[in-house]
Amino acid sequence: MSESTWEIVIGLEVHVQLRTRTKVFASVPWGFGEEPNEQVDPVVLGLPGTLPVVNRAAVEQAILFGLVVDATIPERCAWDRKNYFYPDNPKNYQLTQKDFPVTLGGQVEIELPGPSRNVMGEHKSIRLHHAHLEEDVGKLSHSGSGSLVDYNRAGVPLLEIVTEPDLRSATEAAAFLNALVTMLTQAGVADCDMEKGQLRCDANVSVRRLGDTQLGTRTETKNLNSISGVRDCIQYEAARQIRELEEGRKITQETRGWNAVNARGYVLRDKEDAHDYRYFPDPDIPTLKISRATVERLQKLVPERPFHRQRRYMEKLGLPYTSASVLIADKALADWFEAAVMAYPKNPSGIANWVVNDLLRDLSVVTTAVDSFSETTPIKVSLADCRIKPAQLAGLVKITDEGVISKQQAKEVFAEMFRTGQEAGDIVNAKGLRQNSDAGELEKIIQEVIADPAVAKSIAEYRAGNEKAINALKGPIMKRTQGKANPAMIDQLLRKHLG
Amino acid sequence: MAKGFDIDHLAKLARLQLSAEEKTLYSNQLNQVLTYFETLARADLPPVADVAQVVEESALREDIPSQPLGSEAVTKIAPAARDGQISVPRVVDDES
Repeated sequence: MSESTWEIVIGLEVHVQLRTRTKVFASVPWGFGEEPNEQVDPVVLGLPGTLPVVNRAAVEQAILFGLVVDATIPERCAWDRKNYFYPDNPKNYQLTQKDFPVTLGGQVEIELPGPSRNVMGEHKSIRLHHAHLEEDVGKLSHSGSGSLVDYNRAGVPLLEIVTEPDLRSATEAAAFLNALVTMLTQAGVADCDMEKGQLRCDANVSVRRLGDTQLGTRTETKNLNSISGVRDCIQYEAARQIRELEEGRKITQETRGWNAVNARGYVLRDKEDAHDYRYFPDPDIPTLKISRATVERLQKLVPERPFHRQRRYMEKLGLPYTSASVLIADKALADWFEAAVMAYPKNPSGIANWVVNDLLRDLSVVTTAVDSFSETTPIKVSLADCRIKPAQLAGLVKITDEGVISKQQAKEVFAEMFRTGQEAGDIVNAKGLRQNSDAGELEKIIQEVIADPAVAKSIAEYRAGNEKAINALKGPIMKRTQGKANPAMIDQLLRKHLG
Repeated sequence: MAKGFDIDHLAKLARLQLSAEEKTLYSNQLNQVLTYFETLARADLPPVADVAQVVEESALREDIPSQPLGSEAVTKIAPAARDGQISVPRVVDDES
């Protein structure tokens, strides 16, 4: 197989459950893990005489998403019926938006993996075609001769986000999903918990010879429910198509499934012209006019885009990529960091270092002890409960920068702050940690130490030109000061006395 | 005469089994409907604004939960049920 002469073209359709309390057309609540059919009402079941009424929160979250990705919010959006017979949908149609979706266009900035963890990879912009607001369908489970239907998921608000065919590799598709999840969660419109099925993805894949301008015949693999599944499936499907074409066969436009267990794709049995959905405008839900006032109000809720924030941290605050990339992945953490920088703007990198290394490490230790199940979001849970406040960390960095305490002492103070929530200055005073910069007292100690015959050999070596020998003298001096001496000052005074 | 539909295909999509007589009958009826629309489409009318019903956002529902039916009520109206779920003939999406 010669993949280098082929180009892979991918478009994704991402289904995201929005973060509402009630369903999109019915006021019944929904949530993961309920007993079957406990989150159902007559509207969900499509019983005669019921009418769907659109959930304001779902519409506003969809618009907010559109604003986050710089999409156009049309003046009007409308719903259509997608007709098909399958027991996952009690009405025999799914309410969706075919011709007048809630958002049009937009783009998502992605970051590809760099050559190493410390080096930022290439950035690309992936265009979106549109996003539309529809209802999720029920869940089927199969047993023996029958199937069982649970309608708890039916009617849950789904935003279907459709990309242009802009992605060129499985890696880019994974990077896109990561960026999308970050934007959706940071805007507060979705949780995107894949284990709960809150984000599912269909992948449209085709291949063409490098340089070709026409797209090849594509296949659509349905219902991928993890980012690694998307990556594996695209690699598999692209390799399959290249092999077919190189062996002189043609690609059939088909719908496929993905078996994550044995990492193989398969053709889905065609549901007898299921593609002929006979869409028509839903007569129960009037076309919705979206006021510009609403768009302006929601525009104010748009958080800073993650990669914009990363650029700002690197270019304006001088942070290394390694710190910036960790901070931007978690909005609460990045906000926390910025509050600390606001309190002490002189050393953002120093603050970032504490946040990314010490704070995150200690938070994850605490969280693991409290709840070992929430591995995916350990930081968010505990940052709010963190005893150290941003201004307090800023205070620690400040007194370290000013030489009041040494870096080593700062670690000790930080541990105490994390445990008790006390101010850095108070801990320093209480523990008597203040770095000793009193030259007179220090000089006296130095004179006593170098008079000790035990160190005569080191002094002789130093005077004979062995620079390193001086270090043997620093230990006893530091010990006599109980670690409070300023190391730079010890060095300076020692050299003076040894001549 | 209106064309552009295939009665067999439509019957299949609607899961209807039609006799030869029914096919002729419904084809003619559908044809009449479509022909009527063709007549409407030929009418010479001045351009008018969209008259489809459009509502403002005040017609939206607030995101406040109401009481669900409960699985007992749901399964009671289904032809068959088991373990709080609605039971249907086996439908498959499996690998083939």
